[in-house]
Amino acid sequence: MGVSLSKGGNVSLSKEAPGLTNVIVGLGWDPRATDGAEFDLDASIFLVKDDGKVRSDQDFIFYNNKIGGDGSVEHTGDNRSGEGEGDDEQVKVDLSKLPAEVKKLVFCVTIHEGESRKQSFGQVSNAFIRVMNAAGGAEIARYDLSEDASVETAMIFGEVYRHGDEWKFKAVGQGFAGGLGPLAKHHGVNVG
Amino acid sequence: MTQLTKGANAPVNASQPVVRVRFAPSGPVAEIDVSAFLLQGSGKVSGDTDMVFYGQPEGPGGAVRLTSQNAPAAGGVKETTFSVSLGAMPAGVEKVAVTATIHGAGRGVSFSQVASLEVAVLDGGSTVVTYPVETAGMVETALILGELYLRNGQWKFRAVGQGFAGGLKPLAESFGVSVDDEPEPAPPPQPAPSARPPSVPRVGAASTGNSGAAPAAAPSINLSKVTLTKERKSIDLTKKASGGYGEVRINLNWNRNQAPPSGGGGFFGFGKPKGVDLDLGCLFELADGRKGAVQALGDSFGYFDGPPYVQLSADDRTGQSADGEWLRINGRHWDEIRRVLVYAFIYEGAPNWAATDGVVTVYAPDQPPVEVRLDETSNMGMCAVTLVENVGGQMRVSREIKYFQNHKPMDEAYGWGMRWTRGSK
Repeated sequence: MGVSLSKGGNVSLSKEAPGLTNVIVGLGWDPRATDGAEFDLDASIFLVKDDGKVRSDQDFIFYNNKIGGDGSVEHTGDNRSGEGEGDDEQVKVDLSKLPAEVKKLVFCVTIHEGESRKQSFGQVSNAFIRVMNAAGGAEIARYDLSEDASVETAMIFGEVYRHGDEWKFKAVGQGFAGGLGPLAKHHGVNVG
Repeated sequence: MTQLTKGANAPVNASQPVVRVRFAPSGPVAEIDVSAFLLQGSGKVSGDTDMVFYGQPEGPGGAVRLTSQNAPAAGGVKETTFSVSLGAMPAGVEKVAVTATIHGAGRGVSFSQVASLEVAVLDGGSTVVTYPVETAGMVETALILGELYLRNGQWKFRAVGQGFAGGLKPLAESFGVSVDDEPEPAPPPQPAPSARPPSVPRVGAASTGNSGAAPAAAPSINLSKVTLTKERKSIDLTKKASGGYGEVRINLNWNRNQAPPSGGGGFFGFGKPKGVDLDLGCLFELADGRKGAVQALGDSFGYFDGPPYVQLSADDRTGQSADGEWLRINGRHWDEIRRVLVYAFIYEGAPNWAATDGVVTVYAPDQPPVEVRLDETSNMGMCAVTLVENVGGQMRVSREIKYFQNHKPMDEAYGWGMRWTRGSK
């Protein structure tokens, strides 16, 4: 069991797991227990520079672009309904191979068609983000953000970022109005 | 006041909040049943006492109490309230889910037909949090309206607004309450009253994995409510296992704050419109032939522990008491009672029965509540509502709804045979 963070908190991954080179970032939530359209949640990752923008659209990793950061970051797939144990979506990151220009990985989750289905994160139970050491699978840090969620349809769950020679993880838990499109634009992606 | 949208939450700082559910009745949805489920961290109940509803109006330790149900409120809405004592919440309870189901939802009826539905948390009469549920397009017939929940030592309220199209059963099951369906009884072949009580869904807590706890016969909560109508006139109540009926409570409740009728009085008065005062009373006849009336008029309040084994609680002329008037029948002495005719009368004011929206409910231990609505109109001031009679030892409750000018013609109509003179209270 890793460090449990609350909103705004951060932890040094490098100190918690010395020699860390590869991490798996897991995101999860409970499937809908009530009747109605399932909650279809999608994780996306923005690899951003110091200015908070992506180097190119290739560094916006989501369901239609599963690999970015010159191959160092891989989104392993979508679980549409949240069924099953543990993580619903996982992202593999080879920290040692991340381009030096990339300073931060921003992990976001959006509710597919959330606005038209009138779904929001406040309706989703037990949403979390966690960071594991790919070597051995031990959990390093975790953030349960259900309580920080409300009417948002897009949320930044957390960030993995460089801090000097260290890698750190920050629990963000912040909503973003408008969904995936505006979120991508905000991070410098050319959305058609 | 915080107004929440679906999914949002807000802190609740009151130690004894009131949770209020209001809805606007419509043609297909005249009533909703509101329940509260006390849930563990697992999201399940710990036992069948954790469900608070009309059949079990108080939860463990009195932490959650149903204090009014479908009571008429201003603006033509009906409201149900729970008093919550957060300090008295049993250990392990982390959430109280407040739910609404459409009573006897028929085909095609759902919450989309409820134009207005709102859940609110109040503290000392002022609204702290409110959540107007967007019902448009809803196919659900059972809804989780909202939940009070504990988070890092702080109680909060979340607007949920999700539910089930399949009614109470899947809703209760989602909280770990198992519901066993029993088929609806076949309609009786004749208009004669059925000889046995209807089968009703039996509800008990599903085994929640209490180590070593005996999986005893769990079913004990009876979710059913029986409404007697012109079509279904009577029901025979089942005796308790110990024999007898225990304390049978009969309630008369009505709308005290109905708007003054247009063209009538009320426009020149100050403060609240004067409501109609209904009085509850009964005629009794004992097995040994003794007869009499129990009513506030004439100070005949009866006696519970001795003959006539029927007692009226103190008269509530002001309408201050939210739950109306109560008669109690001592069912342990049921074999000494032949029949009890329960009536309502309007002592003062115009007999505007329709506006009172009155209802008489018979509560017998371990039985579904039996409701009779005063849903007919008359210009006469007295209404025989319910006849409770001893039929071969069984307690039969029948709907009457017959209007009379006063006691005398009612007595004559039922062959009671008493002498009547005018009295006043």
